[in-house]
Amino acid sequence: MTEAQAGDSRVDWEGALLQRARAGDTRAFERLYREHAGKVYGLCLRMTRDVQLAEDCTQDTFINAWRALAGFETRSSLSTWLHRIAVNVSLAKRRKSSPVEPAPEESEDAPAEWTLETPVEVEEIETAIGALPDGARDALVLHALYGYSHGEAAQMLGIAEGTCKAQLHRARKLLRERLGMEVN
Amino acid sequence: MRSALWLSLLLPALCASAVVCAASDKVFDRTVAAQPRGVVDISNVSGKIDVKGWDRPEVSVHAELDDDVERVDVASEGSHTTIKVVLPSHSHGGEARLHVQIPKDSELNVSAVSADVTASGVLGAQHLSAVSGEVTAELMGGDAEAKTVSGDIKLKGHGQAVRLRVSTVSGDVHVDHGAGDFEASTVSGALVVSLDSARAVRAHSTSGDLRFEGKLTRGATFEASSVSGDLNVRASTEGGYEYEASSFSGDISDCFDVKSERTGKYMPGSRLQGTRGEGAGHVRLKTMSGDIQLCDRS
Amino acid sequence: MTGREGPDGRTLVRSLGELPQSIEPPRDLWPTIEARLGGIEAPAPAATVAQSIGRRRSARLRWLAAAAMIASVALGVWIGRSLLPLPGAVPGARSPASAANDTSAVTGAPTALDAAYVADPRYERQRAELLRSLQTRLAALPPASRAKVMASLETIQRAKEDLERALGRDPGNALLQELLVNTYQDEMRVLTDVREASDTGKGI
Repeated sequence: MTEAQAGDSRVDWEGALLQRARAGDTRAFERLYREHAGKVYGLCLRMTRDVQLAEDCTQDTFINAWRALAGFETRSSLSTWLHRIAVNVSLAKRRKSSPVEPAPEESEDAPAEWTLETPVEVEEIETAIGALPDGARDALVLHALYGYSHGEAAQMLGIAEGTCKAQLHRARKLLRERLGMEVN
Repeated sequence: MRSALWLSLLLPALCASAVVCAASDKVFDRTVAAQPRGVVDISNVSGKIDVKGWDRPEVSVHAELDDDVERVDVASEGSHTTIKVVLPSHSHGGEARLHVQIPKDSELNVSAVSADVTASGVLGAQHLSAVSGEVTAELMGGDAEAKTVSGDIKLKGHGQAVRLRVSTVSGDVHVDHGAGDFEASTVSGALVVSLDSARAVRAHSTSGDLRFEGKLTRGATFEASSVSGDLNVRASTEGGYEYEASSFSGDISDCFDVKSERTGKYMPGSRLQGTRGEGAGHVRLKTMSGDIQLCDRS
Repeated sequence: MTGREGPDGRTLVRSLGELPQSIEPPRDLWPTIEARLGGIEAPAPAATVAQSIGRRRSARLRWLAAAAMIASVALGVWIGRSLLPLPGAVPGARSPASAANDTSAVTGAPTALDAAYVADPRYERQRAELLRSLQTRLAALPPASRAKVMASLETIQRAKEDLERALGRDPGNALLQELLVNTYQDEMRVLTDVREASDTGKGI
């Protein structure tokens, strides 16, 4: 089976589970939770940098998704939809606990690639990402780790695309300083 | 990743090579390097696909090909290995019999039309799909999905808890020594399932008979329904279960000396309800006209 | 994650794209989520007939209106029905042989009951699209599979008719309603599986 066909097969199962979840079947919703919880938690953890907040964010994401299932368009990716909800929840939780930092000036420049000059330990790079200011870290996580385009990341974060690119530019500069190497 | 990320060529694990076998070969052999926890995709129209897990970081393909088969493509890129039998566009279906060995921790995806699929020794997740071929697989601890249109599905576990999903239109399903979460649907095939330890079971048929035997974990849920197929459930569990069996026109019987009751004075329909042990688990059985039998495992 | 191991066993990455997207929570969060779901109304709860009767009565129905609301992408079917069968209507009786060459079994052959369907537009569109291409897609399957699929679709159609007939006698029966929902889901699953199976052949 090609990757596309394997993906289609999984989407098919997912579509069947979604149908049942919409009808109130919590077991079907649990299956969807098991499939997507890891990525949602990973996103929440990197955005909030707090294990307890990330757990709360993950739970709230799935609760909100349950409430909004009827409005989910099955043409879209469930994964993307859940990530959108997770971003909103994370931002809301973070606003409560820390002040909003000012956004950098918009920029058209943004790194297209995120390769490192030399291999780095996972722990070191995750620590460096965690030390970034909120806005830069959010844009970096969505774009470089989760693969969303500038436009998609900007929309999820509720900022202009130019601002998103500026945040990514800032993230690259700060990572370069922190890691002591080029981030291309 | 949907952005334009690429991995540096310095990473030795990366390689992109498509290897082609000329149409005139009757036998095809190829071995490529593969990551221990990579993904292996295999597709074949007709013949056989036999997959075994092994300890080497390699994917090895041995194939016997009919004249009608144009070639076998084997490609390895990053953590992804693809094996595809290619037929000429005008072909009416030449057979290829593939024998593939993959790193045992791989995730395995198989897609077949009329080819039988067998998989053993694979510890990673398995997604096995055939239209009319038979799917036979060993459950080794990784989650598994098996899907056919008319082919039979035979799965054998070793009692390790996994998430298992099975779907067929008219094939029969046999599961031995399954455990964990089990979900199955069939229209007219028969479901014969034995579970060493099940946490959540959900099964449905339109007309196929469903037969379950096994042990449920404490607090497990078991739901089975059929329109006209018979349900025969022999389930025991630590902590017991509360149960409800209902049928519109089928007969309901159990081995607990509990009689089913009519649900309405003038309408058909009967229900059997009760509790075994502490009632920690939940068993729900429903049919329209199929008969229901519920018993502790003998 | 596709990093490689360094000399001390720690994983090294060369780009941010190699970092894992998925991180397992330190504990299973599902029990808490499930407990909170319990306090929330289901996204599209299935109404029992008793509730529907109180809420909605169609002028088209001559007798007691029995309605089951099944809301989902694939199952938006609101069924209103009369308790009396149409005169002369014969419950679908087809031989497997005729079913093997005839896809009308799933294209809405009349049932024994005077039924008013108000279908969710997304469900109707999806089903109509799958039915339009059914004959072509069946032709792409191996002959043995084709015959079995047709027989299964016929089985589903018979099940629908049997359930609807039974619901006609007992419109308030939640068991029958649930089984009818399952049967509609089965039909959609089979149609989708046929589409996927015929695409698999093309893809290979």
